[in-house]
Amino acid sequence: MWKFSRHIAVCAIIIVIPVLSSAQNCNSAISGSVKDESTGISIPYANILVQELQLQAATDSLGFFNLESICIGEYHIVISHIGCETQEIYLNISTDTSLTVLLDCNSLRLQEAAVTGQVGKATTQETESVNSRSIAQNSNKNLATMLENISGVSTIKTGSGIAKPVVHGLYGNRLTILNNGIAQSGQQWALDHSPEIDPLVANRITVIKGVGTVEYQGSSLGSVIMVEPNKIENEPNLHGEGRYFFESNGLANGLNLGLHKYKKSFGWRATGTVKKRGDNRTSKYFLRNSGGQEANIALQFEKVWNKMWNSELYFSSFNAELGVLRGSHIGNLTDLEEALVRDIPFFTEDNFSYSINAPSQKVNHHFIKFHTKYEISESQRFDITYACQYNLRKEFDVRRSGRSDIPALSLKQVSNFIEGKYQNYLPRNWKLKSGFQVNRVSNINLPETGILPLIPDYNSNEYGFFALASKGYQKTSIEIGGRYDIENRNVAEISNSIPRKIIRYQNQYSNLSVMGGFNYKLGENWETSYNIGYAARYPEVNELYSYGLHQGVSGIEEGDISLRKEVSVKNTLSLKGNVKKRLFLEGLFYHQVINDFIFLNPQDEIRLTIRGAFPVFKYEQTDARLIGFDIAATYEATERFNITGKYSYLDGDDRGNQLPLVYMPSNNIYTELNYKLPELGCLSNVGFQINSRFVFEQKELLPSQDFVAVPESYYLIGLKLSAEKELPKLRLSLFVRAENLLNETYREYLNRQRYFADDLGFNLIVGVNISF
Amino acid sequence: MLFITSCEKDEPDDPIIPNEQEVITTLNYTLTPESGTPIILSFRDLDGDGGNEPIISDGTLASGMSYIGSMELLNELEDPAEDITLEVAEEELEHQFFYETSFPTELSDVNIAYNDLDEEGNPIGLSTVLTTGEMGSGTITVTLRHEPNKDAAGVSSGDIANAGGETDIEVTFNVEIQ
Repeated sequence: MWKFSRHIAVCAIIIVIPVLSSAQNCNSAISGSVKDESTGISIPYANILVQELQLQAATDSLGFFNLESICIGEYHIVISHIGCETQEIYLNISTDTSLTVLLDCNSLRLQEAAVTGQVGKATTQETESVNSRSIAQNSNKNLATMLENISGVSTIKTGSGIAKPVVHGLYGNRLTILNNGIAQSGQQWALDHSPEIDPLVANRITVIKGVGTVEYQGSSLGSVIMVEPNKIENEPNLHGEGRYFFESNGLANGLNLGLHKYKKSFGWRATGTVKKRGDNRTSKYFLRNSGGQEANIALQFEKVWNKMWNSELYFSSFNAELGVLRGSHIGNLTDLEEALVRDIPFFTEDNFSYSINAPSQKVNHHFIKFHTKYEISESQRFDITYACQYNLRKEFDVRRSGRSDIPALSLKQVSNFIEGKYQNYLPRNWKLKSGFQVNRVSNINLPETGILPLIPDYNSNEYGFFALASKGYQKTSIEIGGRYDIENRNVAEISNSIPRKIIRYQNQYSNLSVMGGFNYKLGENWETSYNIGYAARYPEVNELYSYGLHQGVSGIEEGDISLRKEVSVKNTLSLKGNVKKRLFLEGLFYHQVINDFIFLNPQDEIRLTIRGAFPVFKYEQTDARLIGFDIAATYEATERFNITGKYSYLDGDDRGNQLPLVYMPSNNIYTELNYKLPELGCLSNVGFQINSRFVFEQKELLPSQDFVAVPESYYLIGLKLSAEKELPKLRLSLFVRAENLLNETYREYLNRQRYFADDLGFNLIVGVNISF
Repeated sequence: MLFITSCEKDEPDDPIIPNEQEVITTLNYTLTPESGTPIILSFRDLDGDGGNEPIISDGTLASGMSYIGSMELLNELEDPAEDITLEVAEEELEHQFFYETSFPTELSDVNIAYNDLDEEGNPIGLSTVLTTGEMGSGTITVTLRHEPNKDAAGVSSGDIANAGGETDIEVTFNVEIQ
């Protein structure tokens, strides 16, 4: 029995139970069932392959299988089904063995994903995931663009290489990104700073379209994105996967390699990614200096000390250099006005180039995490986590006298985080998770720039305590939680006045956040959930202290040291289910009020400088309201053919000023037609997809709220072909994707490059994934 | 225990005040007539963007006169003041001044012609020849572009429309012709 106990702990997807019996040498049986991970529905006619024996079987009409006369030994069993992610399981057979295999069959459907893979606790809040198959088939994308097909999620971009995820209209400091359970700590305040995370290290990326997650530190006003690396599989032999992609637009190449092994209670995994991309192209011209390159590595170790105690060590290093469109670098408002009326940006060249010059960004993010857990009993456990993040960001501008090689912005952030969690059961079957978090952040400007820093240096100490109780009773599950945070921030600013001197500030904040929700099953096929959360966010240093010219948008931005914390109340109501297991429907409605919402408000003032006159923007507060819904439907016409449609709607209002909120995602409709074949020639699991996205014009905004009219609506069509091939000891999967198939010319409201240039033209992506 | 540590001071070290070598605080456009005292049009903003208003010295020129114009850029945050004109002269291929005039009538208009060339034979605009017309009042706007396309149509004759690049300076002076 104990031989498989770790298996249960390590991998939540496969449950293996050896059946005790008197085993002979070649008398063992492997039996079990195959189910859909998200729905729990049995999968008939799934394919079972014992690799070492080349023994094939299929599940029966009820999803069961049985293999007999298996000799004692070690085997790799491959379970596959049309449209599902193929699973490979390692088994050490010494007796009759029974297993339940859960296959991940639909990355599009909302899933009741485990919020923390380790604790295995599902939340009443709405979650949606991108699974490893989807990550592999989108290996050319970055973290934000990989999530674009989740309804309610969009991206705010600066050109093609820099993208931040937006969930229900909120992003940056209002959206927490958890990298391996730890809130990503960097310079999230700026629109043109993308999260420093390699999505190819992840096995699953989950978006909690929620009202607040009291369990995590961070300044989320509701939603959370969780990037989770794969658990190390119980597999004593060395295995791994290799991924390669090529993109025609930007002539990009990317390679990702992973290796893992688990022997004698010690497991390791190593993953590395390299990517290089040159100038992207719109439908008509090259975007000069829009290339980028990345080199990332991640190492994972796991040690099981005994049945109750195990430890993990995780290290990752993310290193990127990103070009910014040369023609978007402007000196003043006159330059901006000139750029706005041009068809083709200044500095556009006829030739493609891989070179990256100023303006550009160089970002390094190193992350180390140590986690240990001690399970006193099945109902009681302790978790202790320590994490350190080191973030270095250098931004380069076009400068005089060779200074383009000296960063114009150079920031170093070091954060140290300690967390203790305790989980137990209370009377009446309430499960209680409680804990504390301490985080210390030191953020300093490196003095190499020769420019007054945009944001001041600061040290911040954060202390948080939380408790989260949940209970399942008959058809209902309930979750309630609270969290108390204290933050002390010490700031040292260089004065704007002459002579320069150091001014010190101290900010102290404290806040209580609470959330509650329930999920109720309506019959066999439907369920509904309602959640409400109260959360707050303290003003960030840029909102309090920034002072000076923001070159990218040609405005003088001024912080306000008297800003208060913003306070949010968000409600979500969801309904999902299916009609006869053919038509799958889901809807999520949300309403969020954010009082004292901090935003940049254009002032009537025009300020004269030696570079000309600039509009002035000040950080101000207003009462904001966001109302929206995400709806999705999938119709499985036959086992081979399905169609999916999604619609996202959001209306953001500045109620204080009776104006629409700026930078809100446009409403959009996404559709997808899939045709799947179990076999085609020598290939298996063959899929054809045609997809399209219609993005509405952001009509709410008034002309006075932007430098230029908002972009018109646009319609993009894409194609995808995917197939797999099983070879001895190797599994090959291939994909070809076409984006913007018709080479449309368009501009996207949430891409800040739209002031200067069109968005991307046609792109063909070819990828190969090998598992061995 | 946590509260005890939270009460301790955890101040960041004094930030190092950067040596702001690149800043242009001052522009002096000195106009030396064939005879008489030179006129200086100047723009001076010592505390950079925002803060105190810049100090602008406008000028009065004589009608029907020819002046030699000489441009000087300074960073007066440094002591002694750093001469940014030299940086521009060193990177003459990557810089060009543009002079736009706006006067109510053509007769009163001021004409500003380039009086220097970079090594590729295109103007820089550190040295100019300014000639005045009849009496009147108007404005002169001085623009310094970094990395302009000097080969684009009209740029070498002083037309900024196709120049591109970034604006490092854009300053307007009121000028009286008497």
